[in-house]
Amino acid sequence: MRIAGPSSSARPADPGRAGEAGVKRRDVRAATRPFTRKARRFPRQARAERLAPYVLVAPAVLIIAALRLWPLALGVNFSFTGDGELNGTPVGPANYLELAGDPLFHISLRNVGLLVLLLPLAVAIPGLLATFIYLRVPGHRVYRSVYFFPAVLSPVIVGAIFNLMLGYDGPLNSLLGAIGAGPVDWLGDPGIAMFTVVGVHVWATFGMALVVFLAGFSTLDSSLLDAARVDGASLRQTIWHVIIPSLTRTIQFVFVTTMIGMLTSMFGLLFVMTSGGPEGATYLPEYYIWHQQGQMNRPALASAASTVLFVVMLVVGLLQITLLRRAGRQD
Amino acid sequence: MKQRALWSALVVAALAVAGCGSATRTESPSGGAQQKLVVWDWKSGEPVAAAYIEQAKADFAKRHPGVTVEFVAQPFDQYYTLLGTAIQAGKGPDVMLFNGGGQIRDRADALLPLDQYVAEDRSRLAGWDAFSKDGKVYAAPVTLQGHPIYYNKALYEQAGLDPAAPPKTWSEFVSGCAAIKKATGATCFALGNKEGFGIQFFLSGLGSGVLTPQEYDDWIAGKRDWTSPGVKRIFELWKDAGDKGLNNDGANSTAMFSDVFRVFQTGKAAHIIGLMSDIGHWNDFKEFLPPDKIGVMQAPVVTDGAAPSLPYDGGIGYAVAKWTKAPYLAADLVRSLTSTDALTAFYGKAGAIASDTTIDVSQAGPAVATIASEIKTGKPALHVALSSKTLDVMGRLSQQLLSGSTTVDKALEQLAASDRKG
Repeated sequence: MRIAGPSSSARPADPGRAGEAGVKRRDVRAATRPFTRKARRFPRQARAERLAPYVLVAPAVLIIAALRLWPLALGVNFSFTGDGELNGTPVGPANYLELAGDPLFHISLRNVGLLVLLLPLAVAIPGLLATFIYLRVPGHRVYRSVYFFPAVLSPVIVGAIFNLMLGYDGPLNSLLGAIGAGPVDWLGDPGIAMFTVVGVHVWATFGMALVVFLAGFSTLDSSLLDAARVDGASLRQTIWHVIIPSLTRTIQFVFVTTMIGMLTSMFGLLFVMTSGGPEGATYLPEYYIWHQQGQMNRPALASAASTVLFVVMLVVGLLQITLLRRAGRQD
Repeated sequence: MKQRALWSALVVAALAVAGCGSATRTESPSGGAQQKLVVWDWKSGEPVAAAYIEQAKADFAKRHPGVTVEFVAQPFDQYYTLLGTAIQAGKGPDVMLFNGGGQIRDRADALLPLDQYVAEDRSRLAGWDAFSKDGKVYAAPVTLQGHPIYYNKALYEQAGLDPAAPPKTWSEFVSGCAAIKKATGATCFALGNKEGFGIQFFLSGLGSGVLTPQEYDDWIAGKRDWTSPGVKRIFELWKDAGDKGLNNDGANSTAMFSDVFRVFQTGKAAHIIGLMSDIGHWNDFKEFLPPDKIGVMQAPVVTDGAAPSLPYDGGIGYAVAKWTKAPYLAADLVRSLTSTDALTAFYGKAGAIASDTTIDVSQAGPAVATIASEIKTGKPALHVALSSKTLDVMGRLSQQLLSGSTTVDKALEQLAASDRKG
């Protein structure tokens, strides 16, 4: 028994005895038992010990509850109220029914689907370019910094630059004209505009994914590559059978981050480049929410759209977590 | 062990409490001698509006020396978003700037009716209708906003047309445009419809040449017949103008304010349905086009019996929030912001057509003189009478009409449905 006496604190004894911690813990437990008959003297301590974990997690729980869950609940609750004259009155699912019947909201959800479909492309581009840099194509040092450069530009600046470039009388169409192709209304044709904006988004953000890929490459076992080379594998075979299998985790990570980036940070580009147009073809839920709240003065309808977006993101996020977990188990 | 856990728990709890404590706002006791009014707008930060704001502040300070006025200039892009949040919370600025029409009518619930405060100004200022709803006035107009058709006199001269006698009918207008195209390569209209605003300007700018005065007044009064031949004609003109190449290329990707005015200024188009105030007006064009080369014409007559008039409304105006603690003071600030001296300064520096009809504008060139002379006979613009929801739908439909993915009849059907819902 290292306990000095009944009035001793429960603090472990001098640090020099750290090695005996395991023994000591048992000692303490054993030592507390005799005290229980004098429990009246220590109820405060016993309760404190019981409460301590709750108090310790309280800040985190409070922050989550007060700043995340409570506003979320308020927002969901708000989405069941009316706008304008009906402000504050419960209207049941009317806002959701309106969303279900609003072609603009349909377009915005369809565009989310389109983004998911374009995701592999958005991941393949930085992946392929990183592969080339890793395989030391001539000038790879220059490319590394050049590729990363757009990632430091704000979407507004990128949007403004491409507005000029892609204007109907802009340089790109002049170039097309010079080689004999007709001008393309990059941002004015509803069938093309969304692809244009996604293309610009990929151009502006792939640098970050490229860096992640390069970091992944640094963990790649170069002896595998050497072996492949000795065996006479072609570039395509090397990429397909050696590089991709070794980089599974990295690719998954890039998939998740690119997905999040596409769904959450396209607003700036849309705002500057298309304003959701032409014909509403480039609406995304975020833009729709902003439009209803700020331009149409329909905050409750915007809340309903936010709730739908939240559910969509929740499903996408859970799917991704499941996929990642399954992949993690394979390793 | 126990006490250590207790201590750390206490420390954490104390920190959390301290953190919360410092985050709460320390409210200064209200009702002190110093009163303060907060104004939200998107104008007061602009250099051209500085003299106007100074003048208004001075006028107000003379009458209420103890009251401080704080102007908060918000970015226009976010203005109504921020305002919506303030309205939702039921607190915010005492006085705020609004665009006339749908923007203020949609938010009239949050505003104080000003009728009793501004009675004296009613005859001096024009443009009250755009700030009224159900017979009550919610803001005092600062500028007038309208859609005159500007034309480039230099292009008219090059094409051998008389710049002093712009076309009076639609057929003259179209043949004049053909001559200009042939002589200079410039298109007829500079049109920017990227945001779907182009149709609004087109509807209001040309509408008085298509609808009869009776139809026009009915439209403004809310009796809108979307199937009438006149209304249909306007949208057919819109589609025809696109199909026959009267517009600049890529109208659906040309931004209304920045790009399209550049097209007009640089002589790539002969006409533009522009604005009277804020931006895109005679004073803005002067960078490339001298004032004597800019003309203002009335809407060409399309159908017999139409009587072209200048379409205009109150442009921007200051309103008072319902939640203000000092309604009288706030309303008086609005009066200072619309005093003749202040508005003269605004007109002089920004080139805006101010709401005050007593300001002398004879020095500013022929375009302004024409506009000023038409204000008496002018009527509210057609598109301002529509709800923002309908305008939004109309913007997208207008893009579809230009690209050919819908027909005039289908578009009018949707517009009628949206207009009925209000």
